Amino acid sequence: MKKRWMLLAVLSLALIFTLVSVDAVLADQPGEGPTTREETVIYTGVSWAPPNNWNPLYHDPQPGTVGLMYEPLFHFNPHSGEWNPWLAEEEGEWIEDDVFYVKLREEPTFHDGTPVTAEDVKFTFDIADEVDLYYSTIWNYLDEVVALNEREIEFHFENPNYQQWQTNLYNQPIVPKHIWDEIDREDIASISNEEGIGSGPFTYGQALEDRMIWERIDDWWGTEVHGEFAPRYVEDLIVYGNNIALGMLLQEELDISNNFLPGTPEIVATPEYNVTTYYDEAPYHVSGNTGLLYLNTERPGLDDPEFRRAIAFALDTDDIIERTYQGAALPADPSGLFGAWADYRCDEAVEEYGFEFDRERAIEKLDEAGYEDTTGDGWRNTPDGEDIHLELQVPAGWSDWENIMRIVDEQLREIGIHTEPNFTDDTVYNNDLWNADFDIAFNDYQTQISGTPYTYFEAVATDDIYGEQATNGNFGRYENEEVFDLITEFNMAPLDSDESHEAAAEIQRQVLRDMPVIPIMLNPTYSQALETHWTNWPSENNPTGIAVGWGGLWQMGGVEALLNLEPAQ
Amino acid sequence: MTAKAKRIFQKIKSNENLYFVITNKKILFGISLFSAVCLFAIIGPYFANYGIGEYVGISAPASLAAPSVDNPFGLTMNGYDVYARTTYGLRSTIQVGFIGSILASTIGIIIGLIAGYKGGMVDEILMGLTNVVLTFPQLAILIVIAGFLPYRGISHMAVLVGLVIWPWTARAVRSQTLSLKNEEHVNLSKITSNSIFSILFEDIAANMLSYIFMVFIQQFLGTIMATVGLEFLGLGPTRGVSLGMVMRNALQEGALYLDYWWWAIIPGLFILLLLFSLYFINTGLDKIFNPELREM
Amino acid sequence: MKKYFTKKLIIYFLTFFVAVTLNWIAPRLIPGNPVDTMLATYTGPAEGRAILERQLMVTFGLEGNLFEQYITFWRQILQGDLGQSITMYPRQVINIVRNNIIYDIVVLFPAIILSWIVGNKIGAKAGDDKKTDKFIMPVIYALISSPYFWFAIIVVYIFSFRLGLFPSAQAYSGGVRPALTLDFILVFLRHWFLPFFTMFLITLGQWAIGMRNMVIYEVKANYANYLKVSGARDKLIRRYAFRNGVLPQVTGFAIQLGQVVSGAILVQEVFNYPGLGRLMLEAVQRQDFFLLQGAFLALILMVLFANFVVDIIYMFIDPRIRVSYSEEGK
Repeated sequence: MKKRWMLLAVLSLALIFTLVSVDAVLADQPGEGPTTREETVIYTGVSWAPPNNWNPLYHDPQPGTVGLMYEPLFHFNPHSGEWNPWLAEEEGEWIEDDVFYVKLREEPTFHDGTPVTAEDVKFTFDIADEVDLYYSTIWNYLDEVVALNEREIEFHFENPNYQQWQTNLYNQPIVPKHIWDEIDREDIASISNEEGIGSGPFTYGQALEDRMIWERIDDWWGTEVHGEFAPRYVEDLIVYGNNIALGMLLQEELDISNNFLPGTPEIVATPEYNVTTYYDEAPYHVSGNTGLLYLNTERPGLDDPEFRRAIAFALDTDDIIERTYQGAALPADPSGLFGAWADYRCDEAVEEYGFEFDRERAIEKLDEAGYEDTTGDGWRNTPDGEDIHLELQVPAGWSDWENIMRIVDEQLREIGIHTEPNFTDDTVYNNDLWNADFDIAFNDYQTQISGTPYTYFEAVATDDIYGEQATNGNFGRYENEEVFDLITEFNMAPLDSDESHEAAAEIQRQVLRDMPVIPIMLNPTYSQALETHWTNWPSENNPTGIAVGWGGLWQMGGVEALLNLEPAQ
Repeated sequence: MTAKAKRIFQKIKSNENLYFVITNKKILFGISLFSAVCLFAIIGPYFANYGIGEYVGISAPASLAAPSVDNPFGLTMNGYDVYARTTYGLRSTIQVGFIGSILASTIGIIIGLIAGYKGGMVDEILMGLTNVVLTFPQLAILIVIAGFLPYRGISHMAVLVGLVIWPWTARAVRSQTLSLKNEEHVNLSKITSNSIFSILFEDIAANMLSYIFMVFIQQFLGTIMATVGLEFLGLGPTRGVSLGMVMRNALQEGALYLDYWWWAIIPGLFILLLLFSLYFINTGLDKIFNPELREM
Repeated sequence: MKKYFTKKLIIYFLTFFVAVTLNWIAPRLIPGNPVDTMLATYTGPAEGRAILERQLMVTFGLEGNLFEQYITFWRQILQGDLGQSITMYPRQVINIVRNNIIYDIVVLFPAIILSWIVGNKIGAKAGDDKKTDKFIMPVIYALISSPYFWFAIIVVYIFSFRLGLFPSAQAYSGGVRPALTLDFILVFLRHWFLPFFTMFLITLGQWAIGMRNMVIYEVKANYANYLKVSGARDKLIRRYAFRNGVLPQVTGFAIQLGQVVSGAILVQEVFNYPGLGRLMLEAVQRQDFFLLQGAFLALILMVLFANFVVDIIYMFIDPRIRVSYSEEGK
């Protein structure tokens, strides 16, 4: 008898344990029930870690925080160079050499009903002066932000950074003063802000361990001015591998994948899959940034510009693109500039110091510069006889980047340089990059297309390399005072002026001569869309925007793409 | 050769069981299959037309990468030869498995012999230890340790796997020891006060050589499984290529959805064949050394 | 009975003890300062980093000698404080683990039980009937020779890619949120089936082999011969053989359980299915020590608990234990 009870006790324990676990999972879902598939647009390839921050004043909140939840003054299309006044009524302008003027629309309101006014704009910038935020450096250039009235703002500059300012116009989310003013200045940059009140068309819906769900604001101010959003939920699904995303796309379990998907050309060509990309054929996607090989200028061999230039000549980028992307990407110009940046390309500089694939020339250069195999191990040594062993580093699991490095490895070994791929966890990679703890790394963090090539120049040769971590570019710590000054000159010269073009030309000349980075290819803004649930995706014939959910890109075409989506019938 | 070693050899040679081993169909099948797979691992690489990291040619779409005369196992999505990667990978995996199982068997046999022979407190403690290690899900421990190792070479992996897999052997050897230790010749040795080592090894172990052999095969099975599993999870040897890693690459590059099935499935097939052959050998041996089953 | 249990419980405590110690040792294998390496994966606000750094320092500390660190470690564990995940800051590890355990249970529980039942039946039949044996055994051998993940790959290729019957990854699709509605349950089941199926088939092989061998031995055993000679029906003999064969199978269960759980980790990787296994893998890849520790300990506890349940069941079905142990208890 006694034993029966024991058995019963054990089994009930197991049952209770199970129920408790089920409860734990369900407990994470407050309020509403399941969303319907038809009302949701599912993105993948956007987030790689569970959502935990929605603070627009924090430098890296959940993608979508800026764009969906909070809005900037302008949206910008980096390929056409067009501005889309968003919170602002029309394009801003420099009414004087050092005063920039913006006028807000009258419609914008925050989710709690309060109107978006000039005071909020002023506050958004002033707070960066008070507290150390990621964009506080703007105050090195700004003198004062003046709210003329409810809707008009003047930005008074001490020394206007014309080029860089362009990016602030579309990157700066406007926050409600009446809420943020009340927050303790110590916490203001680090609170998670789930209950944030923004002005955008979507807001925080639900944050789960493997996805972020944005929920539509039905009485969003912009419905009459910009349009109505058809999807009710935007789901940002975390998928831990590109192959998983591929499988899900083919099984119609997601709507838009911003992952690199192997086999894209075949998939697009197969009608049953119902998948579209921006272009129907190569390069399939819009180019998003310049993929650079950063060379650590403090490592043996890499500390010599001649060595670096030799490497540039040894790389067959066409081969890399063909084998890695099957043609779904474009090679980079030696200057690294494309899209809206191309206006500033200096043809002479590229002709004089540019490079192309020429293996013999690479070998010649190495031989001339004294890199022979003095130890007899089959690999070149430095002129002093030091061993050269270079690790090619990219984050593990980023299969396209891994493939690039494997091919680079092959190509460099062919000219006698001992290289080796090194795939590390992505945060380890980040730290190695920022701490200059790498030999050669492939990277595109800072080279995203933008409203000004200033950001590209900074990515290549920023002077912010003297701290322990260099997080703003120039990871190889290339030191060139002249170029540092030229970049500043470029930034301070009025848009499109002669001075700006001259400065840009000289920068390109010196950077190509010294080759601290090697532009390899233009990374596509991957966007593979399923037409089964949603249609009217942006394309060559339907250039509404770019369907991508990456942070920083919502305001550069992402929101517009979403806005134009229609439910498939 | 020492006199002791000679005596052991005699015992083996005069064993009538050997006759049965050679004529048993199951064992023959198992041994041939096993040898075939091992042969593939040993000389297979010499027949590879390409290196493991050598670019062969265009490999997309899948139809261009399918198995052909030049590439009998097809190409990976990056244009590498699957045959080369499989055969070198098999080598690496078998190496780890072999070394690991020798280590595991050695530990297991020693512990089993001592526990079985000594009995009492020693037995309790050793068996307690064995049970503890046995209860752990092996792969979980392996993941925890391998995950923190900065560098993983073939020997590191073999040692790691060997240290986790031995309990099964210990238990099996212990129970055999228990039944053997009261036999006449053992008591005789005890009376003539031979050293413990000579008793353990000459009298007891020598009499369960067949059993030890079967146990070793079982361990080999286990280590191969654990090794391949670790490799598949990305915790295999950091350099070179291994079978589990080839399949991991295939999975991660989307081979399954783009129909590169040869890349994901063929490497694993060799593991299946290897272990399959071992099971046959073991079953055959089982019948021989347990005569009751001989008629079946 | 007391003695039986005491012995078992001692083993379990020891196992847990070793597991915790292992957890404590493993990160110290990292060359250099483990704290820095672990915080490398932290991407949250600076203030959070300071908190984590403090926690890690206490755990690995530069506070107190090794022994004190060890004791502090234990104290934290016993208080249920598994810390906060480094990569998923500020989530508590204990919450993350709680959320994931259900997925292990939901796949493993039915898979183990069903495969046990079916596997033993098949094994018994094979052990008994030579014809079935010749037929079935190669199949079973093939099953147990298949690495769990490889088999999963084949299952995905055939049933998901080729036949399109089931989804190939995740626990449930996008656009659906967990809730106790029929919709969600159906979606969940569709995603659940292939991982369950994979685990079921392979584990089935293990039980089948064990049972078959047991039955063969038993059938040749004395009592079986006696029954045969005295004219008992085959079916009767089989039934007794089965009953006796089951006993070692149950003890074998404990050993097999470790293997099955290991297999589950591999299957979770292929299907990207949530669970403690996948959690451990993620934690290892990101060097998220607290998460790894939490998931590992939860896994061990789960296994120990299952073992314990089996021990109790064993007690019921093996009368020898009750008799011998209860006599000793007097």
